[in-house]
Amino acid sequence: MSDIRHALLRRDPLSAAKEVLYHLDIALGSTLQNAPGLDKSTVELVEEFIFHVPKDRNTQRKRMSCVQELQLLEIMCSYFQEQSKDAVRQVIFSALFSLQGNKADESRMATLGKLVSMAVAVCRVPILECAATWLQRTHSAWCVRLALVLVDDYCTLVPGSISTLQNVCSASPRFCCQLITAVTALYDFSSEELTPPPSLLDMVVGWITEDPRLLLLTFINTPLTSSLPLGCLEVTPLAGLLRWCVKAPLASQRARKSAATGAQLEQENGAMCEELYSKLHLSVLQVFLMLQVHLTEQNLLGRLAVLQVESVAALVEEVSVLVEELNPLHAANQIQLALDRLAQALQVAMATGALLCSREDLRTLCSRLPHNNMLQLVMSGPVVPHGAAFQPSVYPYIHPARPTPLSPHPSLPALSPLPAHPALATHHQLTPHTAHSPLPPPHAFHPASMAFQYRPIR
Amino acid sequence: MSAQGDCDFLVKRARELVPEDPWAAKAWLITARTLYPADFNIQYEMYMIERNAERTSSAGRLLYDIFINFPEQPGVWREIAIITAALRNDTQDKHAQFLRGVFETLPGPVQCQMLLKATEQCFNTLEKAEMHLLLLKRFPDSVVQHGVSLGESLLEAENMQDLDTPVNCYRKLFVCDVLPLIINNMEMRLPASLLHKYMHKAAEFYIGYVTRGPSADAQLQGPQEGGGLKSPGKGRGQRGVIDGLTEKSSLVAEPWERLLEIVGSVGLRCEWQGEKGTRTYSELLQRVKELCRYLPGLEGETFSRCCAQIVTCSTLVLFRSAHFYISSVQPSLFQGHNSLGSTPWVLVEDLSSVFNDIEPERPSGKHAHKKRKLADGREKTMSSDDEDALGKGRGRHILVNRTEMLAWAETLEHFRTARESWELLHSHETLESEFNKICAAWKTESWLWFRIFLTDMIIYQGQYRKALSSLVQLSSLQPQQSQNTHTSASSLETHRALIQQASCHYALGEYRLACEKLLEVVSGLVPQNQEATKSSEEQNRGRNKSKKGNDLRLIPCTSKDILPFCLQLMLACFKLRAFAEGNRDDLSLGHVIVLLQHDWPQGETLFLKAVDKICDQGSFQYENFFNYVTNIDMLEEFAYLRTTEGGRVQLELLPNQGMLIKHHTVTRGITKGVKEDFRLAMERQVSRCGENLLGVLHRFCINEKIILIQSLP
Repeated sequence: MSDIRHALLRRDPLSAAKEVLYHLDIALGSTLQNAPGLDKSTVELVEEFIFHVPKDRNTQRKRMSCVQELQLLEIMCSYFQEQSKDAVRQVIFSALFSLQGNKADESRMATLGKLVSMAVAVCRVPILECAATWLQRTHSAWCVRLALVLVDDYCTLVPGSISTLQNVCSASPRFCCQLITAVTALYDFSSEELTPPPSLLDMVVGWITEDPRLLLLTFINTPLTSSLPLGCLEVTPLAGLLRWCVKAPLASQRARKSAATGAQLEQENGAMCEELYSKLHLSVLQVFLMLQVHLTEQNLLGRLAVLQVESVAALVEEVSVLVEELNPLHAANQIQLALDRLAQALQVAMATGALLCSREDLRTLCSRLPHNNMLQLVMSGPVVPHGAAFQPSVYPYIHPARPTPLSPHPSLPALSPLPAHPALATHHQLTPHTAHSPLPPPHAFHPASMAFQYRPIR
Repeated sequence: MSAQGDCDFLVKRARELVPEDPWAAKAWLITARTLYPADFNIQYEMYMIERNAERTSSAGRLLYDIFINFPEQPGVWREIAIITAALRNDTQDKHAQFLRGVFETLPGPVQCQMLLKATEQCFNTLEKAEMHLLLLKRFPDSVVQHGVSLGESLLEAENMQDLDTPVNCYRKLFVCDVLPLIINNMEMRLPASLLHKYMHKAAEFYIGYVTRGPSADAQLQGPQEGGGLKSPGKGRGQRGVIDGLTEKSSLVAEPWERLLEIVGSVGLRCEWQGEKGTRTYSELLQRVKELCRYLPGLEGETFSRCCAQIVTCSTLVLFRSAHFYISSVQPSLFQGHNSLGSTPWVLVEDLSSVFNDIEPERPSGKHAHKKRKLADGREKTMSSDDEDALGKGRGRHILVNRTEMLAWAETLEHFRTARESWELLHSHETLESEFNKICAAWKTESWLWFRIFLTDMIIYQGQYRKALSSLVQLSSLQPQQSQNTHTSASSLETHRALIQQASCHYALGEYRLACEKLLEVVSGLVPQNQEATKSSEEQNRGRNKSKKGNDLRLIPCTSKDILPFCLQLMLACFKLRAFAEGNRDDLSLGHVIVLLQHDWPQGETLFLKAVDKICDQGSFQYENFFNYVTNIDMLEEFAYLRTTEGGRVQLELLPNQGMLIKHHTVTRGITKGVKEDFRLAMERQVSRCGENLLGVLHRFCINEKIILIQSLP
């Protein structure tokens, strides 16, 4: 192996990098069937000659010039484009860009950012698909960094270039789905800088309204058994998008407060964004409805928390902090809008089986939030007229016949124990539900379980 | 708070949000629906938002939901009524198209169910039927279940309404829309009797449709002529529009072809002989004519099936051909007065041989005269009079001026086909009784146009006595036109019957009655310039010379053509009497001479014969001579007759001249004075030669009406 290294050291940096890529292709392409994984020396070669991490202090390697770097990216681009075997492509991509927790990671990330940005620019679908997988398997902190690179390149640096990114959606929807999850993780409204740029918002809303199924793409295509590392992105962007919708009115009020006198342009921009968030909120609710159909078909209704209680709890916490920061007198409308959206999303998520949570849990969860009619309605659940039996499945579209544990779906033999979706924490009930049923019904808001009837004052 | 209160709050909030933030409004409603899935108002509001924004697929989706979940809600019914109304009418406005689009997004079974339920909701029979029809057209499977009941309900509705015409909205829907669906659906098993009933309903409708009177618009455009048409029975609404239907849906394209299609389908289903989907009416007739020959040998079910086929086919061919014949002969019945070529035509005895010398045999023979009493006694087909005439009816020619009737060949062919069908229908007792049943059901007795055809047919058959009673029936069917007699065209049309009566009386040898009718006609005519008639008359001349007085002629009902005919007919009436052997009748001979002036020199032979007769008599008295004879040849001849060379014929041609002569025979001077008067009258008469002869003859007919009639037996 050191022979190769010595040979490479004599070459110029670009041809050395090319050689390593070639070596990698040979090594992995042939060993794909039997023993996967790279030997240490190959990893070292990649780090030394592609990511330029010095092996020892003595060898002070020449760095590549900018032109050479661009040429290397082009070579990589063509390599992935021309590699016809999906598996080989995937393995090579991960050999190059899987993070190792060492010094090379920074350089790795930098190269990855440039490569993906380039792939977007020239629409290289294989690379985008690899990047989508990378975004699924990598810790969210790194994913957010990749997202930031793309946002900088396409939203911030060159204003007109967003349409290039926009068009990628039809070429690689899976990449876009992951990108949305990544940007919602990036922009969490915790500060003004972490408010999504309007052009990004516009693009994301455009994608979703075009076809809301986009949001469920990763979720639907991820096998329940595949193991994903800890700390990776959520399996759908739903929680992130919900955070955007709920926090946007509060954040805009905060921004207005700090900016004091908003310019005309700023106001117009604000109005446009308000409309976009409203559309986005509607889309989120519609996706919950779609999700229910999918869950029912897969016999997963009530077994899989797509929207996790923890995420909801975090969001509720963030909202209450933001509300406290704002003066309720001046921001009453914004606060009410935020709470309306939160309450609606929680209600629809519970009703569709995306959020597994009882009304009582919800009341505990939302106890710190200010009063809101919709939220009260959601927390207390629907009123059932005396004598009339509540028929949750009267509406077939929204409430298809839910699976009962007594009649398990024959196509799913592994019903018990519950199929573990590693990306999704299985639902942990905060309070025990109906004693006789091991599964919570999709309508976890059954009024019979309500301890008290708290009605909003109107 | 109640559940209702919650729902109302949610819907109200959503409704408030629609104008400023429609997405938020929808988000509210989606949430509301998950809270109260059984609440109608929430989902209805969702639907209304999509509907008002005209988003077809989402509106359709939501409509489906509310239709399935809330089938009893009045709001759903209102909406379905609106949508189905949009389906029924054919307006192209955007909203109606959107609503039709919404309907199209629904799954088939739901569409079917929706139409069925919408049908149940309709109280108006017509709307209900239209809705039903919509269902049947879209879902052919439903024809088996609903087709006949829909048809029956339409026929029942027609009965209940007691409509006086088969051309009504219910029948139109039944015949044009429902029936084709029923009879073309091979899944349906229907008894032959029902199929026949339906086919006859269709036939009655289509015949009624094509023979409807002219439109009210057309009448308005010709106000001077249309006055008489406002009478009941004729000016019912606009021709184009059937009560209860739109102008567009009132139109039936190619009615005879549609009817033929129905007959073809029914024939196929009833296993008619040789029925392989008939393409033409003449094929229909040809087939049943052949079938008729086997009829005597058949019995039982086969016999009745054959009878049904023969009667149905012959009846349809009869009415169709008769209709085409009448639309040529009496076009104003169907087209209105102001349309082109609307001149009526009248079928009369051909008189082109009237100028010929007297023949030993008279047109209808002396024996007819003798046997008239018999014939009068029992007006039956086989009176001796008719028996004779029937024989004559075969192979009679009908002469037409080909330049004036363009489609003369077709017209005569239709007339022939219609007669043939009629004869077929009367060739067997069973056929005749079946045909009579149809006629009774359709009330063909009251069809003016068919009565006109029947009359012409009877005339053609030579059954003049029967024809005369048919003409009486005809005038009772004709709308009253009394206030209208001054206008030429329409009065001519009414005079059509009078002319035919005159022609019939003449053919029966009843000259006095013939003349009475004629003179009635002539008083309504306006004389034209003689020149105009020349050309048409000349064409037929010579060709007909050889023919016996056995032919018929179709002449246009205009003053131009009628007056010459009347003059000829009068001539024919007087001719025989004037020249009768061993009988002196100066008055008749005088009339003949006056009438011979017309179409001069056609009547030269007869004139010379008259002169011979006068010479033989040695004297001639006709006091109207100078009033009406302006023909220079005739005047010369008479001037000559008085001379020695001419035979010194004693002529008494001046009014009261006879009196004078008797009074003053002794006095030479007075005789001389008479001579002088004659000479002066002759001279004056010569100066009148340029006068319009038709004017003179017209005046003759009017002024001398009483004498003319009295001078005939």
